[in-house]
Amino acid sequence: MSMLTDQTILTTTATVLIFLGLVVMFYSRNLLKTIISFQVIVFGANLALFSSGLGGASNLMANTLVLFSIIVGGSVEAIGLALIVLIHKEYGTLDPWKIRRLKH
Amino acid sequence: MMPVEVTLLLSAALIVTIIAALFSRSMSITVIMLFYASLVLGIIFTLYQGVLVGLLHIITFAGAMSVILLTAVLMTGESDLNIGNRSLAAVLSAVTILVVAASSYSLFSGAPTSTMPSPDSTMELLSFVWTYRPWDLLILIIIFAGAMISLVNLFSKKER
Repeated sequence: MSMLTDQTILTTTATVLIFLGLVVMFYSRNLLKTIISFQVIVFGANLALFSSGLGGASNLMANTLVLFSIIVGGSVEAIGLALIVLIHKEYGTLDPWKIRRLKH
Repeated sequence: MMPVEVTLLLSAALIVTIIAALFSRSMSITVIMLFYASLVLGIIFTLYQGVLVGLLHIITFAGAMSVILLTAVLMTGESDLNIGNRSLAAVLSAVTILVVAASSYSLFSGAPTSTMPSPDSTMELLSFVWTYRPWDLLILIIIFAGAMISLVNLFSKKER
């Protein structure tokens, strides 16, 4: 138990989140699930950045990077969701394999 | 410093909610679990002296992104958004009410709130960003404005 520090636990959690998001992003057959897994990856990245600043004397830089990561992640996700709505209007499905087939 | 057990509990809650969100078949359960995961992550940030980061995280992901995700689900019709299991909804509502009641009690009853950070850390972070990272702040504002303009343009596209 003495080896377990807050930083270790949070970094491990961040790694688990990033890999969970990557796995679901690769195997998902729904674009909405892809965006949700992207959000999970952003959660993991934010947690990793935040936990990197826990051990030092000042964690201002880590907090600043998390602040920027939140805004950029939110903006990218919002545009992705808007594109998904347009794709559904155009093709009638959110399955990327079907969309690829309909494109030709 | 927080006890390690609290960190373990919060991390376990975060992982469980994320797994439930990613691997559930119903889109409504996914959205609800993602909302709870955003809340838990915001609580983790807040407990470790990142008040501003936690607040912004909850506002952005548990607030704005949940609403946009819900709108996208409704517009695409990918799920009927039926909660289905009423007992699960009742349990979730009860847990939410209990958490809100407990936090309100500890905030307003004069009970000791040892984990409450001083407001100096928030001001310190803001002054650090303003003093040392002004260009990053400018780029961030441009990215955010560009995203919002693109979003409005995409939603207001006329049918050809």
